[in-house]
Amino acid sequence: MQLTKKSTEVKAGALGLNRRQFLKNAGVTTGGIAAASMLGTGMIKKAEAASTDLSQPVEVKRTICSACAVGCGIYAEVQNGVWTGQEPAFDHPFNAGGHCAKGAAIREHGHSTKRVKYPMKLEGGKWKKLSWEQAINEIGDKMLEIKETSGPDSVYFMGSAKFSNEGAYMYRKFAALWGTNNIDHSARICHSTSVAGVANTWGYGAQSNSFNDIRNAKNIFLIGANPAEAHPVSLQHILTAKERGATITVADPRFSRTAAHAHIHLPLRPGTDIPLVYGLMWHIFENGWEDKNFMEQRAWGMDKIREEVKRWTPEEVENVTGCSREAVYAAAKHMHENRPGTVIWCMGGTQHTVGNANTRIYSILQLVLGNMGIPGGGTNIFRGHDNVQGATDMGLLFDNLPGYYGLTTAAWQHWCRVWDLPFEQVKANFDPNQYLGKDPMTTPGMPCSRWHDGVLEDKANLAQKDHLRLAFFWGQSVNTQSRQMEVRDGLDKLETVVVVDPYPTMAGVMHRRTDGVYLLPAATQFECEGSLNNSGRSVQWRQQVVEPLFESKNDLEIMYRLAKRVGIADDFTKKIKVTNNLPDADDIMREYTVGMRSVGYTGWSPERVKAHTMNWGDFSREDLQAKGGANKGETYGLPWPCWGTPEQKHPGTHILYRTGMNVNQGGGNFRARFGVEFEGESILADGSASKDAEIQDGYPEFSDVLLKQLGWWDELTDEEKVAAEGRTWATDLSGGIVRVALAHNMVPYGNAKARCRVWTFPDEIPVHREPLYTPRRDLIAKYPTHEDMRVHRLPTLFKTIQDKVIADDLDKKYPLIATSGRLVEYEGGGEESRSSAWLAELQQEMFVEINPADATDRGIRDGDDVWLEGAEGGRIKIKAMVTPRVLPGTTWMPYHFAGVMHDEELQYPESGGVSTKPYVVGESANTALTYGYDPVAQMQETKASLCQIEKA
Amino acid sequence: MAQMKFMCDTKRCIECNGCVVACKNENSEAVEWGIQRRRVVTINDGQPGEASISVACMHCDDAPCMKVCPANVFSKTEDGIVLHDKDRCIGCGYCLYACPFGAPQFPKKSVFGGKGKMDKCTFCAGGPNTEAGSAEEKVKYGANRIAEGKLPMCAELCSTKALLAGDAGMVSDIYRERVVGRGHENAGWEK
Amino acid sequence: NGGEIAPQAGNEAEVVWQAIQQGAEGRTTSLNEHHPQLINSYDLRMLDWRNDWLSYAMFFALFGMIAVFIAFIAINGISKLEKGFSGKMVYRWSKTDVFLHWLAAIPCLLLCVTGLVLLSGKFIIEPLLGTGAFAGMANVSKLVHDYMAIPFMLGWIIISIKWAKNQIPARYDLDWFMVVGGYINFGPFKGKHPHAGFANAGEKLFFWAFVLFGLVISVSGVILLFPNLVEPSRTVSMIAVLAHGAAAIVLCAFSIVHIFMATVMSEGGVDCMISGYCDENWAIQHHDLWYDEIKANGTLKYMEK
Ligand SMILES: Nc1nc2c(c(=O)[nH]1)N[C@H]1C(S)=C(S)[C@@H](COP(=O)(O)OP(=O)(O)OC[C@H]3O[C@@H](n4cnc5c(=O)[nH]c(N)nc54)[C@H](O)[C@@H]3O)O[C@H]1N2
Ligand SMILES: Nc1nc2c(c(=O)[nH]1)N[C@H]1C(S)=C(S)[C@@H](COP(=O)(O)OP(=O)(O)OC[C@H]3O[C@@H](n4cnc5c(=O)[nH]c(N)nc54)[C@H](O)[C@@H]3O)O[C@H]1N2
Ligand code: HEM
Ligand code: HEM
Ligand code: SF4
Ligand code: SF4
Ligand code: SF4
Ligand code: SF4
Ligand code: SF4
Ligand SMILES: [Mo]
Repeated sequence: MQLTKKSTEVKAGALGLNRRQFLKNAGVTTGGIAAASMLGTGMIKKAEAASTDLSQPVEVKRTICSACAVGCGIYAEVQNGVWTGQEPAFDHPFNAGGHCAKGAAIREHGHSTKRVKYPMKLEGGKWKKLSWEQAINEIGDKMLEIKETSGPDSVYFMGSAKFSNEGAYMYRKFAALWGTNNIDHSARICHSTSVAGVANTWGYGAQSNSFNDIRNAKNIFLIGANPAEAHPVSLQHILTAKERGATITVADPRFSRTAAHAHIHLPLRPGTDIPLVYGLMWHIFENGWEDKNFMEQRAWGMDKIREEVKRWTPEEVENVTGCSREAVYAAAKHMHENRPGTVIWCMGGTQHTVGNANTRIYSILQLVLGNMGIPGGGTNIFRGHDNVQGATDMGLLFDNLPGYYGLTTAAWQHWCRVWDLPFEQVKANFDPNQYLGKDPMTTPGMPCSRWHDGVLEDKANLAQKDHLRLAFFWGQSVNTQSRQMEVRDGLDKLETVVVVDPYPTMAGVMHRRTDGVYLLPAATQFECEGSLNNSGRSVQWRQQVVEPLFESKNDLEIMYRLAKRVGIADDFTKKIKVTNNLPDADDIMREYTVGMRSVGYTGWSPERVKAHTMNWGDFSREDLQAKGGANKGETYGLPWPCWGTPEQKHPGTHILYRTGMNVNQGGGNFRARFGVEFEGESILADGSASKDAEIQDGYPEFSDVLLKQLGWWDELTDEEKVAAEGRTWATDLSGGIVRVALAHNMVPYGNAKARCRVWTFPDEIPVHREPLYTPRRDLIAKYPTHEDMRVHRLPTLFKTIQDKVIADDLDKKYPLIATSGRLVEYEGGGEESRSSAWLAELQQEMFVEINPADATDRGIRDGDDVWLEGAEGGRIKIKAMVTPRVLPGTTWMPYHFAGVMHDEELQYPESGGVSTKPYVVGESANTALTYGYDPVAQMQETKASLCQIEKA
Repeated sequence: MAQMKFMCDTKRCIECNGCVVACKNENSEAVEWGIQRRRVVTINDGQPGEASISVACMHCDDAPCMKVCPANVFSKTEDGIVLHDKDRCIGCGYCLYACPFGAPQFPKKSVFGGKGKMDKCTFCAGGPNTEAGSAEEKVKYGANRIAEGKLPMCAELCSTKALLAGDAGMVSDIYRERVVGRGHENAGWEK
Repeated sequence: NGGEIAPQAGNEAEVVWQAIQQGAEGRTTSLNEHHPQLINSYDLRMLDWRNDWLSYAMFFALFGMIAVFIAFIAINGISKLEKGFSGKMVYRWSKTDVFLHWLAAIPCLLLCVTGLVLLSGKFIIEPLLGTGAFAGMANVSKLVHDYMAIPFMLGWIIISIKWAKNQIPARYDLDWFMVVGGYINFGPFKGKHPHAGFANAGEKLFFWAFVLFGLVISVSGVILLFPNLVEPSRTVSMIAVLAHGAAAIVLCAFSIVHIFMATVMSEGGVDCMISGYCDENWAIQHHDLWYDEIKANGTLKYMEK
C-alpha cells in the first residue's frame, strides 16, 4: 500500500494526548474519573485531549501484536511516554503492515482504564488496596505456610502464553525451585495434543513451515482451523497462494469465514476428523496417489495405516462424518493434483478427547502425500497466543522442563547444570514422598484444564500429598476452561487465589468468596521488553513501548520479589543481572539459550534477535530470507533449530525436516527420537538424508558414543571432550557434539523415519472414537471411547461418561451438538479484549449459531434470547444467531464471553475509582461445555458436546 | 490532481474488521462509541457465494450528500475528498437519507429534534476550516494523514490488502492488475 | 448436505455486485440500523428536482407571491368597504377560535420562513448574505422549525376538525369564483359582490388547502422529525423531504395570499382575528348570506361597548 506514502514519520505535534498522565491519574483519584467513565469513551477521550501537549517529539518503537501467534509487527508512536499512535509496519515480513481488528486495536487493547491499577485484596467481602510490599509478603508467607503443612505441590502455578520467552522461562524456573510440577498454561487447552501427537510422529511438536511459506503451496487443506478469524493476517499468504492457483479445501463443521474462500468445504460432524482423513486416504490409496518413495524412505508403520484405511470406505465415511463421497473424492484429487500441498490445523482438531490422534492422522496424511520437508508443504499448525510457542518451548507445562526435556532425572540434571545449581539442592525443594506410586519431582503435575479437579477431587485419588490450596492465575483467565460450574467451586474451595494479570479475570471475579483473593496488576508486554516466538518458530524482540501503567509491574519483577520472599531469589537469578528488582531480559535469554539445546535455541542471542527485529525490511516476504544487509542469508526470526553458537551464524530453520537443504543452511530430516528400532525393525531413515550429509542414510542422534563409533571424537577440543563425555547433543553444554555433527553436514538429532505408530500412546495408530457426548449412540458400539484411566495425578473418565449418556438418554435430552471457537474481534477468555472499547463495540452480545431448521423447530428467530443448556446441566442465557453457517443439528458458540453466569451478572471490583468490568460481558460458553479429556495431553473437549436450546 | 477513492477487493476481504478498528484507532478522539465510519458487510453469510465488503464514505464524484445538505456542510477538496464541516451541520439527517452507502452517522439518538453533528469518513483528511494536525482537528474530525503525506489508516492496516485507497487511477490499476493477475505469480499482492 | 464444491465461475463478482446494487442486505457487526445494506438505491433525480425546482419555487412562494401581490394592489387597489365602517361589531369568532388561529398561524409563518432557509437558503440566501451569516441562519432555522412544528400541528388538526363545518362548498361558491370574489377593481369584474356564507369560496379553498397540505406537511414532517419512531427507510425519508418541500410551497403561497387578503386587501377583515368581531358593513359586503342568516335566526350578536 505504499502508493503515495511519502514518509513513515509523523510530524511532531501532529497528534498527542497525555494518555499516561490520564491513566496514572485514574489510578489515584476516585469519583471524578468514575463519573467520567460512565459517560463512555467518547467523553473520556475529550477529557484527555484537554491536556494535550502538541510540541512533544514522536518516538517510534517496534513491537509485536499480542493477540495471536501470527506475530504481526507494529510501529508504536510514543510522545512524552504516551502511546499516541500506531503506524503500519509495511516492511514487516509477516504482515506487511496488515492487521486484523485486534492488531488494529493494540494501542487500546491492554491499555484500558478497566485494568487493575494497584495490588488489591478481597477481605471481608470488600476490595482493599495494598502496597506491593504487603501483597508480596502476605502471599509469600501463605506459600511458605502451605509448603510447611501440605508440601510444595499444594501451590499451583498457572502461567501464561502471554509471557515473553524470558517471563515463561523464569516462571518455569520459579516453580522448579519452589519444588513442584504443578505448573501449566493455556497450551494445555490449545495445542498440547498437537505438541504430543506431532512430536511423537517426527520429532518436534511445532509448525513445520511458516505462514509465509504457504504462498508456495499448490493445495491448502485446512482442517479444524478458521484462520480468517483466528489468524487473519495469515490469509494474506493463503490468498496469495490461491491467487497463484492453489486449491483450498476447508474441513469444518461450519461454513466459516475461511470456508467462504475455499474451493471445497467438507462439513464434517464435530469429532470425526479421523474418519474424514482416513476417507481422504481411502481415495488416495485407491487411486495410487500416495508418494510411495517418500513413505518408504521416511515413514514407518504405514502398513497399519493402510489396514485401517480399508475400513473407511466412502459409505462409512459419509455415515460417520456426513461428508459425501463426491466431496471427499474431489478434495483428495486436489491433494494429488496440486503438490506441494500443506495441511493447516488448529483447535477443531486438537480440542477433543481424540485430539492427539487427530493431530497424528493429519501428519500421516502429509506423509502419505510426501508433503513434508518442502516449501509449500508441511503441517502448518497455527498456534494460538502470541507467545504460546515460546511458553511451550520454555516448558511452561505440567510434564516438561524448558526445551521438552521431560521430567526425568537426567532432564533435571541438565537444567541444574544450566542454572549452576547442585541437583541435590534442587531436588530437596520437592516433596520426597511417593503418592499412588508416583514421585512428585518426576511426575507431571495438574493440567491447566483440570486444576479445579486438583482442588475438588477426593484426596485419596490424587497422586500428591494434598489438595491444591493456593493457586496463581498468572496471565490466564479461567473462563477458558470447560465445566465452569466446577471451576467456580474450585475457586471457592481454594484457600488463596492470586491473580497476576492486567485485568481481574474470572479467577478474581466469578468465585463466591469474601476473602483470600489477591489481584496483582501485571504490566502488559507493551510495557516490558523481551522476546517471543511466533507460530512459525521465529523469534522477535519487543521494544518496551511505554513504562508500566498505573502501579503495574513487569512479570519478571513480580516473580523476583516473590522469589525473595520465599527465599529462592539467589538461586533464581544466580547468573542473571537484577536491577531494581527487575531481572535482565538479555541475561535471561543468554541463560536459556544455553540450556535449550534440544530445540536448537543455541544460535540465538539477544543481539542477533534484536538485529532481526530492527531490520524487518531486509527480509523477503516470500521465503523470510534476508537478501542483503547485516543479516544476509538468515531467515527472519532465526526459526529454531538455530544450530551452534550465535557466532556460528546459523540462519535458522525456516522449514523443518527439509532434506533438500544442507543442515547448515536450514536443512534437516525427521528426528531420531524414539530409538533406532522397534520390534526388530529399523526406524531410521532409509536412503534419505539432508543435503550434503556425510551419511546419506538414517542415523541415530549424536552422542559421545556415536562420535566415537564414527571416529569423529577427536574433532572435539579437549574441553569439549570433558563436557561431552556421557552426553548427547542435547545435554552437552559445550556444544561440541553439535559442532562436529554440523561440520559433517549432519543433523545433530539424527535421521529417522516418522512413525505412524506411537507405541507409547493409548492408541498406537489413530482410530476413531466417538465423542463422550455423541449424538450418534448407534456408533458407540463400533467406535467406543477409552476405558477410564489415571493420567498422571488425576483419574480421568471416558467410558463412564459415555455409558451415562446412554443410560440417562442424554443424547435425547440434548440433541444438538455444541461446539465453540473464535470471533475475530475477541481474544481468549476475552476479559482483555472486551475491555477495549474499539473491539467491544463490535460484538456486544454472546450468542449461539443455530441452523434455521433447528431454530424453526424451536420457534426461535434471529436475535431472540435463548437458554442453552449443556449436557451436564450448565445453563446460559444468550442470543440466537440463526444462520446456515452451521448444519442442522449443530450449534456453535464463541467462547470469549464471561461476567454473566446463569443469567446473573458477576460483580467486578473497582480499581482507581473505575469499575474493572469490561465494556461487554456475557455468559461463558464453557458454563455449558462438559467433561472430556485427551488421555495423553489432558486437553479438554471443547469442540464436541451436546446441548439443548429453548426460547427464553 | 488526484481523485481519491476506495476500492474493496471482495476476493480478499475476510471480514476481519481490521479496517473498522484501524479507523477507530486513528480517529479515536473524534469518533465515539456507536459510530463506525467504516463497516464490513457480509452478504450470503454462511453460504456458498459469501462475500464481504468494507464500506465507508465513497467520496462520490457527484456527491448526493453534498447536493442535499441544506446547510452546505460538505465541500470537496482538490483531491476529490468530500469533507464535512461539523460547525455548520444542523443535524437534519438529509445526507443520511441521500447517501447511497449509509456513510453519515449521528451521535445523538434523541427522539425529538436534531440528531447532533453528522460524522463520516474523512478519508483521514481531517476537516475543513481547521489547521491540519491541530488538536481541534483531532477532536472534531480525527487524523489528517493526507496532510502528512500518508493514506487512510483503514486501507493501510487492511489485513489482506483487500481495501485499497488512493488516487482513483492507481487504485483501479492495481485492481485491474490483480484481476488479470489472478492465477498468476504474485497477482498484485505487493501493492 | 455432504459438502460444497464451490463453482469456479469467473463472474461471481458480477453476481455479488448485482445483488448489492439491488439493495441486498448482509450481516455486519455495526449496530447502525442502516448498515446491513450496502447500497441504498433510489432515483437520484429526486435530488435535482429538489435543488433545481423546489428550492426556487419555495423562494417564489414567499417572496414571489409578496411581489405579485404588491404589484396587484398597486394596479388594482384594495377592496374598500363601500359603506365605510359602521362601528357596530358583529360576533364572528369565539375566543377559542381566535386562539387556535394564531396557534397555527404564527408557527406557520415561522415555518415558512425557516423552511425557506432550509430549502432555498443554500442557493439563494448564502450567495447573498455570505457563508457566516447563512450558517447561523440555518442553525437557528432548524431549531425554530423543529419547535414550531408542534404548535402548528396542534392548531392545524383542531382547526381542521372544528372549522370544517363552515367550509363546506356550496353552489354559490362557483359564482364567487366567476367574479374572483369581487376583489377586482377593473374590467368586467368591477363592483361585483358575489354571495358568500360564513366563509366565502376563496376562504374555503384556502381552508381545504390548509387541511390537505397541512396533512402532507405534518405527516412528512413527523417522518423527518422523529426518524427513530417512524422512519421506515432512508428512501421514504428522502421522499418525505420532497413531499414536505412541495407541500410547503403550496401552503406558503396560499398563506401569503391569505395574509394579504386578510390584512391589506380586505378592509376591516383583520379585525375578525383580533377581536373575533367584524364590522357589520364588512359582514354584509363579504358574507351576505351568513349575515342574513344570523340576522334571521337571531344569533347575531354585537360587541358590547
Ligand atoms: N480472534 C481471535 N484469534 C485468535 C484467538 C482468539 O481468541 N481470538 N485465539 C488464538 C488461539 S489461543 C488459538 S488456539 C487459535 C485457534 O484458532 P482456530 O482453531 O482456527 O479457531 P476456532 O474457532 O477455535 O476453531 C476453528 C474451527 O474448528 C471448527 N471445529 C469445531 N469442531 C470441529 C471438529 O470436530 N473438527 C474440525 N475439523 N473442525 C471443528 C470450528 O467450527 C471452527 O470454525 O486462534 C488464535 N487466534
Ligand atoms: N469453549 C472453548 N474454550 C476454550 C477454547 C475454545 O475454542 N472453546 N480455546 C482454548 C484455547 S485454544 C486457549 S489458548 C485458551 C485461552 O485461554 P487463556 O489463555 O486463559 O485466554 P486469555 O483470556 O487470552 O488469557 C490471557 C490472560 O493474560 C493476561 N495478560 C496479557 N498480557 C499479560 C502479561 O504480559 N502478563 C500477564 N501476567 N498477564 C497478561 C490477559 O489479561 C488475560 O487475562 O482458551 C481455551 N478455551
Ligand atoms: C406550514 C408548515 C410548514 C412549512 C411551510 C414547512 C416548510 C419546510 C421546508 C420548506 C423545509 C425544507 C425542505 C427541504 O429542504 O427540502 C422543511 C423542512 C422540515 N420540516 Fe417543515 N414545514 C412546515 C411544517 C412542518 C411540520 C409540521 C413539521 C413536523 C412535524 C416539519 C418538520 C420539518 C422537518 C423535520 C424538516 C427537515 C429540516 C429540519 O430538521 O429542520 N415541518 N419544512
Ligand atoms: C398575519 C397573518 C394573518 C392574518 C392577519 C390572518 C387573518 C385572518 C382572518 C381575519 C381570518 C378570518 C377570516 C374570516 O373571518 O373570514 C383568518 C382565517 C383563517 N386563517 Fe388567517 N391570518 C393570518 C395568517 C394565517 C396563516 C399563516 C394561516 C395558516 C396557514 C392562517 C389560517 C387561517 C385559516 C385556516 C382561517 C379560516 C379560514 C378562513 O376564514 O379563511 N392564517 N385569518
Ligand atoms: S491478532 Fe494476529 S493476525 Fe491479528 S494483527 Fe495480531 S498478530 Fe496479526
Ligand atoms: S457521504 Fe455518501 S453521498 Fe456523500 S460522498 Fe460519502 S458516500 Fe457519497
Ligand atoms: S445532517 Fe448536517 S451534514 Fe447532513 S445534511 Fe443535515 S446539515 Fe448537512
Ligand atoms: S479513510 Fe480514515 S476516516 Fe475514512 S474510514 Fe478510513 S480510517 Fe476512517
Ligand atoms: S481489514 Fe481488509 S480484509 Fe479485513 S475487513 Fe477490512 S477490508 Fe476486509
Ligand atoms: Mo489457543
